[in-house]
Amino acid sequence: MRFMVLIWPLFIPLLGAALLLLCRDRRVADAVALAVCGVEVLAVGNAVWQVHRWGSIEGRYLRADGLTSFFLVNIAFIAALSLVYATAYLRHVGEGRFSSPRWFYGLVYLFLFTMVGVCLSANLGLLWIMMEATTLASAFLISFYNTEGAVEAGWKYIVVCTVGIAFALFGTIVFYLAAVKAGLGHASALNWTALLAVASQKQFDPNLVRLAFVFILVGYGTKVGFVPMHSWLPDAHAEAPTPVSAMLSAILLNCAMYALIRYEILSSRAIGTEFAHTLLLFFGTFSIVVAGLLILVQRNLKRMLAYSSVEHMGIIAIGVGLGGPLGLLGALLHTFNHSTAKALLFFGAGNVRHNFGTLRMDRVRGMARSNPRTAGVLIVGGLAIVGLPPFSLFVSEFAILSEAFTQSRYLIGGVFLMVLSLVLGGFFYHLLRMICGTPQETQPKPQFARAEFTVMVVAGVCLLYFGVHIPAAFSVLLRDAMTVLQ
Amino acid sequence: MEFVGIAAGKVVSTSAVFLILTMVGLAVARRISTCVLLFSMQSVIITAQVAATAYLENSREAWVVAGLVFAFKVLGIPYAFFWLVERLKSPRDVKASTTPAQSVFVVVVMVFISYAAVRSYAFGIRVPEDALAAAVALILTGAFLMVSRKKALMQMLGLLVLENGIFLAALTTTFGMPLVIEMGVLFDVVVGLLLMGIFTFRIRDTFDHLDVSRLRRLRG
Amino acid sequence: MTMALGAAQVLILILGAPLARGIIARIKAWFQRRQGASIWRPYAELGKLFQKEDLAPPTSSLIFILAPRVMFAAALAVAAFVPVLQPFALFGSVGDFVLMVYLLALGRFFLALGALDGGGAFGGMGASRDALISTLAEAPLLLALAAVSISARSASITGIVGWTLRQNFFEISAVHILAFAALGMVALAESGRMPVDNPTTHLELTMIHEAMTLEYSGPSLALLEWAGAVKLNIMLALLISLFGPWGMAGSLAPAALGIALGAYLLKMLVLMALLAVIESSMAKLRMYRVPDFLGVAAALSVLAVFFTMIAKR
Repeated sequence: MRFMVLIWPLFIPLLGAALLLLCRDRRVADAVALAVCGVEVLAVGNAVWQVHRWGSIEGRYLRADGLTSFFLVNIAFIAALSLVYATAYLRHVGEGRFSSPRWFYGLVYLFLFTMVGVCLSANLGLLWIMMEATTLASAFLISFYNTEGAVEAGWKYIVVCTVGIAFALFGTIVFYLAAVKAGLGHASALNWTALLAVASQKQFDPNLVRLAFVFILVGYGTKVGFVPMHSWLPDAHAEAPTPVSAMLSAILLNCAMYALIRYEILSSRAIGTEFAHTLLLFFGTFSIVVAGLLILVQRNLKRMLAYSSVEHMGIIAIGVGLGGPLGLLGALLHTFNHSTAKALLFFGAGNVRHNFGTLRMDRVRGMARSNPRTAGVLIVGGLAIVGLPPFSLFVSEFAILSEAFTQSRYLIGGVFLMVLSLVLGGFFYHLLRMICGTPQETQPKPQFARAEFTVMVVAGVCLLYFGVHIPAAFSVLLRDAMTVLQ
Repeated sequence: MEFVGIAAGKVVSTSAVFLILTMVGLAVARRISTCVLLFSMQSVIITAQVAATAYLENSREAWVVAGLVFAFKVLGIPYAFFWLVERLKSPRDVKASTTPAQSVFVVVVMVFISYAAVRSYAFGIRVPEDALAAAVALILTGAFLMVSRKKALMQMLGLLVLENGIFLAALTTTFGMPLVIEMGVLFDVVVGLLLMGIFTFRIRDTFDHLDVSRLRRLRG
Repeated sequence: MTMALGAAQVLILILGAPLARGIIARIKAWFQRRQGASIWRPYAELGKLFQKEDLAPPTSSLIFILAPRVMFAAALAVAAFVPVLQPFALFGSVGDFVLMVYLLALGRFFLALGALDGGGAFGGMGASRDALISTLAEAPLLLALAAVSISARSASITGIVGWTLRQNFFEISAVHILAFAALGMVALAESGRMPVDNPTTHLELTMIHEAMTLEYSGPSLALLEWAGAVKLNIMLALLISLFGPWGMAGSLAPAALGIALGAYLLKMLVLMALLAVIESSMAKLRMYRVPDFLGVAAALSVLAVFFTMIAKR
């Protein structure tokens, strides 16, 4: 019966999506969306508390343990922020054939359903199905505006991600083959818990596990945004509506990383940590270097934020690849911190787009005088995202760095520091150019909805607070997650 | 019934050649309809293999999978493609970026590569080498089609060939995955194609052409 | 006695060639819902041509007169390589498939020379196009035959046919499927049929083989036409005997020979119907696409050779 606790967070978004597609009136749609969001947050909270109190829940297709609850909390938090923001943001979106608020909310909840499904999967095949479903559910969200850029971004997204995930399917099949060869029956050969047990006894064929992990890394790494496979990311995050961009950057990338972490645990138990960690470190370092360099030459604000997401996913990969208590802790914490900061920044970017009509950074000037509140949001977000204290990203990045130096990996640590300084320079060059100076004469009156601002304040406070002290509840959550990882 | 058994065994061991013939056909085809027909033939061969496996392994699940593959990949998806080509009213040319001779050369090289790759792994797995190599070659051909054909519909078809290859690889190594997973994968593929089909309409309406190599607004 | 059988096989191939052409034309006419000419008409045409006068352009040399004779002689020689009723041929032990291919090439070479010697513009055009096609078709032809001979561990055509006869029909081999596809495409190119060349065209600019015979008349033309028909017959007989020889006689008993003849005629009929279907359903390829067509044949024959290396036998 504990199983039912997991069913609720999974099916509430699905029911909500169905419900929302029936709401024709905009205000009714807003209200229903917020209501469903509230119920979902409660369901997730219930599930997390159950897992903490009575241990992990195992099932044939769904399961939850400490790591799951950590990522679920992440999803719920950012989803709540984005949905509240969206109720105000959508006032500016025109009504089209498929561009009405009910389609937006319906697709968003479908998207949420698939992402929660990724986190709750016990069966590797189901994990794949849900991951592919996230691509399908978000494709229309990305091309929501139906402009040339949006359609191109949506097409590229769907094609590149589907190809990547097809490779992940191949990896899943090879894993299944290894499991069947190691003696597991057809029913349990894709079950994560069963696989973990067999892996601990070192019964897997090492060649097969290596081959499988490579394909999984390339496949799910496409969704995470590792560098050779990241081509869809800047386009999709830049062209999508702001709440969707926030959800993509803050939740989807984390879900893909969750899948990778699950496979990394399996692989490390089966053949030792060398192989998986080397690959993760390689992709992570490559990602942060390329993304860091590309941030310097960006002209579109949201594209720059997208590349920053690539960079931070690289940092998380480095954290997982380093291993060790500090590295893993830093990586986990970073997933949460990065999502909060990135959501804040994307909300600010949404405001820039409303008030200035463009996201080109060279056409925006003097925001400190004309839009002080947006400027403040961007400053806070910018300081946070480049990793300066007292914001929370400093804590997680510091943990990862100290792990690197403890393990005497001076090259990685050095490259990391160099990229951080590059990114700091790049971000501040672009942001200060937008904020300082005299505003142009023909500026429309700044508009700022109360809902949007509240959400941003919440995010900012969170960033600040977590940088100084991690609340007890959250650290408990972290501890549970860490026990799974080690 | 022993004859059926022998025939089933023959199907599994000789289908690789016919799949290679369809791959060569895909490389030289110049019209989208020809490519769709070749994909349909490929799916027929794969259905025959699934059916043969189902017969030899006496597995009811595999029969269901064979039926699903036939219904969707042999009938449903090609029909949907023909309907799309009709409705989109765009030129039916494949718009290849390589000449047919170069494409055939690439396909032959990929067949060599896939046999070499399978050689080094087949010792440990004891699978029919031919069928697995054909599966890997299908995957590579699908990827090649996606890269070298500049029509949106051809990218979808390349994706389908890729999925065919992965499905065949699963079939030859593990005689298929659990039924639920297979159905989920098939469902995902079909919905994905549905969405991509809707997207092609949007691309045509927004850009007035279907040449994806001309979608280059977002760069850098 | 076996010599007599060998001679009989050659006669079947040579004398039956115009009949093959007639049957194919009749089937094509049936496809086009026409009445079609009688299947014996090519014989009447040959007879008519033999009674006419043999003219040669004043600027031509001995080559012009020699070319049709050499071509016919080459076709005759190659016909002696191919087994029809038994895995035995008159020239079976004289040479292997390489000699056969290059005898065919010899005939083609002389035809091209004769066309150039005729001094007409279309003769030169036809000769250059034919040279391109035969150059490109040579590689797949040799490779496909090589693949089949590697499988059979024998280089002579009769040896290959004997080996294939001993195999089980259900042991379908990848090498043979690919070689059959490649050889089929080459057969279309070598005998000048659609989609490479249209044998019934009257527009000179679309001709390849016919352009080379434009200047000839009388017995020379008869010999050229006959040699072309013999080439088609040889190609079809080669396809049958290399890839589907079951039914051939094992001994010299009349009953076995009768069965063999019946099987041969049946298989020829099937192949001719297939050829007629292909010719009726495909348009002629433009000249610059013929290399692509032959490139596919080359790729298939390369794959056939590759498969001989990985075969488990």
